[in-house]
Amino acid sequence: MSRRAVLLLLVVVATIGFEARNVGAQFGIPRIPGIPGLTREREAEQSPMDMFNAFSDMDEPQEVEIGRSVAAAVGARYKILRDEALTKYVALVGNSVAATSDRPDLRYYFAVLDTPEVEALAAPGGFVFVSRGALSTMRDEAMLAGVLGHEVGHVALKHHNATIKAQRTKALAMFGANIGLRFVPGPAGAFTPVMSLVADGIAEGVLKGHSREEEMESDRVGFQYAARAGYDPAGLRDFLSALSARGTGDANVSKFFSTHPGTDDRLKEQTKLLQGFSGSGRREAERFAKAVGTATGR
Amino acid sequence: MRGRFVVAAALALAVAAVATGQTPTRWVDRTKADVRAGKASFYEIVDTVLKGEQVTVLKSEERWLSVRTPRGKTGWLFEQTLSANAVTPAASSSFLKGAGSDASTSAVAASTGAKGLYAQQYAKSKGYDYSVVEWIESHQPTESDNEGFARAGGKP
Repeated sequence: MSRRAVLLLLVVVATIGFEARNVGAQFGIPRIPGIPGLTREREAEQSPMDMFNAFSDMDEPQEVEIGRSVAAAVGARYKILRDEALTKYVALVGNSVAATSDRPDLRYYFAVLDTPEVEALAAPGGFVFVSRGALSTMRDEAMLAGVLGHEVGHVALKHHNATIKAQRTKALAMFGANIGLRFVPGPAGAFTPVMSLVADGIAEGVLKGHSREEEMESDRVGFQYAARAGYDPAGLRDFLSALSARGTGDANVSKFFSTHPGTDDRLKEQTKLLQGFSGSGRREAERFAKAVGTATGR
Repeated sequence: MRGRFVVAAALALAVAAVATGQTPTRWVDRTKADVRAGKASFYEIVDTVLKGEQVTVLKSEERWLSVRTPRGKTGWLFEQTLSANAVTPAASSSFLKGAGSDASTSAVAASTGAKGLYAQQYAKSKGYDYSVVEWIESHQPTESDNEGFARAGGKP
């Protein structure tokens, strides 16, 4: 290669680097290590964030951070019921079920949504929500354990991973390979467009609900978690039956059917699981009524 | 015949390990893992181990292992957190650096991840009220609440 060609190549590379930095700035994207103009000190300060590797699973601290973002989005869609006693009770039942799950080492956080709509949601990182409307449909703790077991199942089985990967890939296409593969968060607290995209996608997915296959899979593990925690695993079936009896004509239930598809098939599957279950379990109707009664207007 | 020999050799090795006081070593195979005071995630964190760190296994119960960390702390880790083979330490994580000045080097600081810094920025950019997340995180049952509930029949 001639000296002129090498010089020309250097100029082109430098220009691309400069332009890439400017494009990043336009989108509010923090600077990328290795781009000309960054000093070593700045690189150290803004070192790569492996969170946005589009082709690998997110690790737990990153997942929890996305979970917090999604929890904020859920809190914007629904009001969080700030009832300390009820929240703690739901969390106690949730923790006892989560302890038997496939991810017992993850710290779970439980909250009650202040809405008459029947709803139950799970965000990555262990954030689990159940609505006041769902609680008012339940008759005992076994039903609550069944529903929470199902939601913990989504977290334990990492059902959000597919969305996370899809969003990262989308980010890769939008912001370029370097950012998509090794995104830079900037100094502590800096806003990150890629994270925003991931959190947007997950929040949308959480609020819209999971696929039929994922619902069935969570039902199966939720059944096991509730049974292992000592509850009657018929709780989830009984909850689904109670909703089915209310029917799609009930506005507070119809939303649940849209976010949790295939209720008839789910009921059949739960009945099949119960036929193969020989043990027994607690229902704790009295404790449930005492803890939940006032908040749900029973 | 061969099978018997293998079993006998395994037994001999096990006896020898006990006799010489050897305890098995495991390597942390997660970015970070919280070592807890009990066998559930609601127990207090006594230490946090990082990827590639070596721990000594003292005993195992159910799916949890009682371990001694490199800092001499004793607590419980979920079995899937550890590998029987040496694990290469992870590169310094800027994500954990986001947790605070010493988060990438301090195991305890790392235990809280980024402490919501990125999520707070996200919520702010969307106009969401982040205080709901803080409320949820600060209104969970304590370790003793969970233990009391378990004693009252919340767990088998």
